[in-house]
Amino acid sequence: MSPKVLLNLALGILAAIGGFVDIGDLVFNTAAGATFGYQLMWVIPVGVLGIIVYSEMSGRVAAVSGKAVFDAVRERTGFGAGLTALIASEVVNLLTLSAEIGGVAIALQLLSGLPYRVLLALAIVGLAVVLWITQLEWIERIFGYGGLCMLVFAVAAVKLGPNWTQFGKGFIPHISQNNPWLYLYFAIGLLGAAMTPYEVYFYSSGGVEDRWSVQDLGLNRANAIIGYALGGLLSLALMIVGAAVFLRHGINPEHLGTIALGAEQPLGKIGLLLAIVGIFFAVGGASVDTVYSGAYNLAQFLGWEWGRYRHPAGAPRFTMTWLVLLVMAFGIVITGVDPVMVTEYAVIFSAVALPLTYIPILLVANDREYMGANTNGRLANILGVLYLIVILVIAVMAIPLMIITNVGQN
Amino acid sequence: MRWVGLFLAMLALTGCNGGTVGRHALTNDAATIDSINCEAWLLSGAVARNRVTTYYAREQAEELAIQAGNFADALAHRPTAAGLEPRVRAKAKDASKLASRLWRLHDRPTDRDGARTLAATFKQAGSCS
Repeated sequence: MSPKVLLNLALGILAAIGGFVDIGDLVFNTAAGATFGYQLMWVIPVGVLGIIVYSEMSGRVAAVSGKAVFDAVRERTGFGAGLTALIASEVVNLLTLSAEIGGVAIALQLLSGLPYRVLLALAIVGLAVVLWITQLEWIERIFGYGGLCMLVFAVAAVKLGPNWTQFGKGFIPHISQNNPWLYLYFAIGLLGAAMTPYEVYFYSSGGVEDRWSVQDLGLNRANAIIGYALGGLLSLALMIVGAAVFLRHGINPEHLGTIALGAEQPLGKIGLLLAIVGIFFAVGGASVDTVYSGAYNLAQFLGWEWGRYRHPAGAPRFTMTWLVLLVMAFGIVITGVDPVMVTEYAVIFSAVALPLTYIPILLVANDREYMGANTNGRLANILGVLYLIVILVIAVMAIPLMIITNVGQN
Repeated sequence: MRWVGLFLAMLALTGCNGGTVGRHALTNDAATIDSINCEAWLLSGAVARNRVTTYYAREQAEELAIQAGNFADALAHRPTAAGLEPRVRAKAKDASKLASRLWRLHDRPTDRDGARTLAATFKQAGSCS
């Protein structure tokens, strides 16, 4: 690889680490640590491997066929099933976007002390302006590099001196004897947060926009494996902080600001500030990803012009879609609904919608007409089918568990 | 359609904080009030040692105060299972005291001595470790 390619790869990976964590990861990883200590550690690598497998697949489809996920969904599953997948993904996207924007406003409020609703309006207008005038690669870099402040949780996790024996045992899959329903609810939430569909939509559409070709398959694989794996370390760090600070002191972290307090405990004021700034960039970056994902899906399904690299006027219906999504998300969070609660619903509903995203990807990645010689190999198919089974089980169990556990409150 | 309606109704009820307070709900609510006390202990301790910003202290104290106040209102007015009323109403008073202490922290986020005193109170009230 040339130095320029290596530099791009390194920058992409840095941005992926910073951009890996969203509000769903923040809420579920910390709450899981605060409730079950290190017992749910094993779920994080399972979720990270799942998103690696399917992102690599969707990136490969984009590179070889030039088609993003929803192009493939529509072509492979027909109009009816495609429409179902579209509606499900748009509902989940909108809920997630609302939660992320609420998270942006909360982070700004913790930094500035200004009223929440004013900051919500500022966040929406600010996002719209940034999306309108800033080139995408700069948006990704700004939020990705800013999100690197989240590494403060990794430093905090080490400094807290966790019980490494218990930490290691947490990687052995098991079912907790103490409140197994709640344990399963958190396991599903963690998987749903790690494998949230918008990441795959965004990733594959980005591949098409970056004009990936067969020559970029190595870059696709490296981005997916290294970026997501290193990003997953942040999830581990959040769970350690949850266990070492909140479980130890009997605290159930129900507010976004509480999570930042987990970094203050070992690192003081600078830890707190870095955590809040990191949360701001992480949820801000995720807002960009989700709003674009929503616009991609609709535009690809209906065959509209789409693209972040086009001037907004060059793809007017695509632009109008993300603007409308922003306004709708604002309409939801301005009611005063708790963004953390919206996050929990969004993650659980996304778990239900997972098969609608991942089944078509697996089908297309095995289609010789699309993929030629680059169809799935044996390993990709074994992992793909295994994860499909996991995803189907999750989809069936998610809502009953949400009801049984009273959205994780029991 | 009937099943869809039933499902949506169950979904709507999920997470609601209404209805009669039974033993299980009281245990859950008491645990949450202890959790708020312990977070307030960490927060006020951090204020006392000048380890948080003024804005953070004020906003986080407000969030917790609102949450505690909601519990105080709900536990003071919701119907209770037979024999539980005295305990539920006592818990409502605990939540109300917690809320007013948090509002004090919210109003004086730079008062380090006051925060130190409050921290001790929160720790004791929540039996925090």
